[in-house]
Amino acid sequence: MIRTARREVAKRVFSKEFNASKFKIGGEGEKEAVYVLTPLGLRCNRLFIVGVLLEKEEVKPDSDMWRIRISDPTGAFLGFVSKFQPEALESLADLNPPEIVAVTAKAKLLERDDRVIPLIRPETINVSDFETRDYWVLETAKATLKRIKAIERGEEKLAIEKYNPNLEEFRMTAIQALMKLKEEQSILEKEEKTKEEEKDEEEEKDLGFELDEEIVDLSDFEIGD
Amino acid sequence: MAENRFQAIVEEIYERFKSYGVSRKEIENRLKLLLYEFKVPEEEARRTIINGLRKNYNIVKGDLKPSITKISEIEPNTWVSLKAKVVQLWEPNSPAIAQTGLIGDETGITRFVVWAKANKKRLEEGKCYLFERVVVDEFMGLKSVKVTSASEVKEIDEPIEVKDENAEVEVVGALVSIQQNSGLIQVCKLCGRVVKAGVCVEHGKVEANEVLRLKSVLDDGERTYDLILDEKIINSLTGIGLREARKLAEEHLDRGVVLLELKKRLLGKYLRVKGELRFRTLNAKSAEFYKPRIIEEVEKVLEEAGA
Repeated sequence: MIRTARREVAKRVFSKEFNASKFKIGGEGEKEAVYVLTPLGLRCNRLFIVGVLLEKEEVKPDSDMWRIRISDPTGAFLGFVSKFQPEALESLADLNPPEIVAVTAKAKLLERDDRVIPLIRPETINVSDFETRDYWVLETAKATLKRIKAIERGEEKLAIEKYNPNLEEFRMTAIQALMKLKEEQSILEKEEKTKEEEKDEEEEKDLGFELDEEIVDLSDFEIGD
Repeated sequence: MAENRFQAIVEEIYERFKSYGVSRKEIENRLKLLLYEFKVPEEEARRTIINGLRKNYNIVKGDLKPSITKISEIEPNTWVSLKAKVVQLWEPNSPAIAQTGLIGDETGITRFVVWAKANKKRLEEGKCYLFERVVVDEFMGLKSVKVTSASEVKEIDEPIEVKDENAEVEVVGALVSIQQNSGLIQVCKLCGRVVKAGVCVEHGKVEANEVLRLKSVLDDGERTYDLILDEKIINSLTGIGLREARKLAEEHLDRGVVLLELKKRLLGKYLRVKGELRFRTLNAKSAEFYKPRIIEEVEKVLEEAGA
């Protein structure tokens, strides 16, 4: 078979964890993929993100190279889109920040002088919605907590050796993201309830008003003859 | 005679007699003698060697059926014979491949490839065959059976129960990619392959059927599935069926518009899909946008995390 090169899985990771990455692994053989190693031991080559497109800005006028920022509950991903990502570039043209987007992207580490900058190169960008975003946050928080547990069990030796990560800090970001989600959900539900109650009240008012003013002649409704 | 065919015959005979202590060299020498010096036809040479060995090693005829390997036992870099059912045919992505897909027996399922150069009769989905002298290889950790010009393939009239043929799974994941050859496309009426500019790679200039389908990738963060969505399911998700797709294409004088529209509506969405899974290919039987009430799940995770 020719097309059996295994597709890289799109990993779920919060920007806070991703942006703390400093090392990459793999890429030794000509065909071996390169992975960004995060402090919690995630090896990612591709990411799936649902977040808010906060900025899009052309790096230089007429370069058609765009710098974007996409936020999640923990921070923001820095990304670049150029003619090498034609599909993403086309979608980006129609988007006006702020907008909720779902993004599939390649994970990269840019090495500049003595700095390492984690960034993403989107393959596709699509308009999304709050429901999808909420589910992504839940899924990503679960994945984060799972990675923390693996490190606590003494797995992911490489990540421990390279980063010695502060697990409590990452645990708190995941928990805070979930707490916020819980708050928003209950506010949403309350709003819906209030709206329904208001609607009921308005209907009652409506009805009372018409009856008071006797605009409707009830005799019209009598079925006669 | 081609070197690979020569080797295939040697391997086949060797596989059958190796447990009796016959060496490859011995078979090779005899085959060379008969084929190249005495110019005996290939099938005769083969039979003569087998008969000769049987006599030499005193093997009763009944003990020597061509040994059939079970699919669960195939090993890379060996020549084997299999009895298997064609479970699924896929569209080849290279002109060097005549057919590709999955075959199975009661022990398992494997990928297979019939090379175009093998020049074999076309296999049909759902039928059972005896595959003789096929070679097993491995690529990216997946085993695959190759039908070459040295192989024989005969249809057989015995039912084969394929293991887990109808295993149904349910997967929730994000639709992260839609592949080429998706949308409103034209396929060859004879073989179902995508037709480009009215030309099928196999059948040349052909009549084409217009179909609506998507080859996509569903990704749950742990693994990916090659997800196939047919017209019915595309319609149930997006409201775009074959009729609507044709209308869209006519309005814009471009079939590509349909793919763009479907990408807009499906990419980046979470789907819950039920279907049949074969390796990484998930043939959807039903699909819906996944919109769970997440509050309970959020509370559960928070509790587990001790918050």
